[in-house]
Amino acid sequence: MNYLRQLRAVLWKDLVVELRTRERTISMAGFTVLVAFLFNHALDPARVDVQDVAAGLLWMTIVFAGTLGIGRTFQLESEDGAFHGVLMSPTPKDAIYLGKVGANFVILLLVTLLALAVFGLFFHLQYGERPLVLLLVMALGILGFVAFATLFSAISSGTVMGDTLLPILLFPLLVPMVIYGVSATDRLLAGRPVAEIAGHLRMLAAFALVAVFSGAGLFRFVVEE
Amino acid sequence: MTRSAIGDPDSPSETAPGRVPALEATGLVRNFGPVTAVDDVSFTLDEGDFLTVFGPNGAGKTTLLGMLGGGLRPTSGDVWIRGTRIGVRSGDWRHRVGVLSHQSFLYGHLTCAENLWFFGRLYGLEDLETRVPDRLEGVGLRVRADAPVRSLSRGMRQRLALARTLLHDPEVVLLDEPYTGLDAHAADVLRGVLSSLKDGRRTVVLVTHNLGQGLELAERIFVQVRGRIVFDRPRGEIDAASFERRYREVVEGAAGFALADASPKAR
Repeated sequence: MNYLRQLRAVLWKDLVVELRTRERTISMAGFTVLVAFLFNHALDPARVDVQDVAAGLLWMTIVFAGTLGIGRTFQLESEDGAFHGVLMSPTPKDAIYLGKVGANFVILLLVTLLALAVFGLFFHLQYGERPLVLLLVMALGILGFVAFATLFSAISSGTVMGDTLLPILLFPLLVPMVIYGVSATDRLLAGRPVAEIAGHLRMLAAFALVAVFSGAGLFRFVVEE
Repeated sequence: MTRSAIGDPDSPSETAPGRVPALEATGLVRNFGPVTAVDDVSFTLDEGDFLTVFGPNGAGKTTLLGMLGGGLRPTSGDVWIRGTRIGVRSGDWRHRVGVLSHQSFLYGHLTCAENLWFFGRLYGLEDLETRVPDRLEGVGLRVRADAPVRSLSRGMRQRLALARTLLHDPEVVLLDEPYTGLDAHAADVLRGVLSSLKDGRRTVVLVTHNLGQGLELAERIFVQVRGRIVFDRPRGEIDAASFERRYREVVEGAAGFALADASPKAR
């Protein structure tokens, strides 16, 4: 019970701090709207069927927006050594990690909803009769993404290269998520039956599980001196 | 102040017969590349002891405190808190330690009360409804309970940091230059709180380069120079003027340079 209480405390703290600073949310949301606007003007609908590329654009926007925001997870923590105080508490390191992953997941899920809205608006996407299935695909994908991004953000924040290092470490690991996420989203946008993406959902769930468990296991080695 | 019966480092002394010291360091060494910041430091403190560690800048005082608090891993040697070796077992020993650092370890965007609630939950405390207001009252910040930490002055922030340090009622309190940046009033308030720590239950280690502030509460005095403890004496055996003289001799002799004025009245 205490473990969950500690996990919830970290999650609550991260969300409250984000709610008050809005630092990461604004940059991610701004980036998402800007990218959707630029793609809308860059793609000529007479030559490109936007339905064919929408899924890829959507996922790449979320990945880049997420990297922009989640990459700053530990920068706010360094203010006045606050995170050092957390690490010196008896809270298990994996509870700290899972709390931060939970908060980052909520933040990125909100950005994803915004991305779905603006892409739907600009590209006239029809999310069909199964928006909840689409949301499940996105949620599983971003859970895996957030789990790896939070871990590597902890690594990169302690280095001189910082923001440059994060995508170099992170992007190669995202290949399965992008492949299965884009493919499942593309099929759903095309109105294909849910049964057709059952395998994709399983792969995305497996990716998320591997990311969360490996992140929880490795986090202590990253943050311990 | 006795040495404990600890022998085998893999067999924590809580299982050994006899008295278990509150805090024990055995052969602590910490290297940063080719530089040895802490060099073979060993000591034992019992319940209720108040140790002040003096030393010039760069002597390794903060590094020593970092290792005592478990925030920094020793290159070699061990730290034992109530017979539990730091870093070997689970984080249970962390309940026994409170650290006040140069940094406040507080979140600027949370209020004073929210910071204490947050850290209270991390320490698994159950009675936060009463404990948080009590701690805020103790450092004179109850009226600022709902103020964001970033709106506080340096002195207020330091007092809140002290409330956070003592929130879980630690047996071992580690204080790193707690008076840094405080005005006279804030220093007086802090001095009052630190005095209250001499209740016979807590073991306190205060690290400072300020002789006047450090001597006020000390019961045992260390002088650390270039990582080594070069002076170790009970406070009762030496008066302030003699200590200042000895401090200058010891530090200048060990460091090979002349000290600037280190008057006990300097704040």
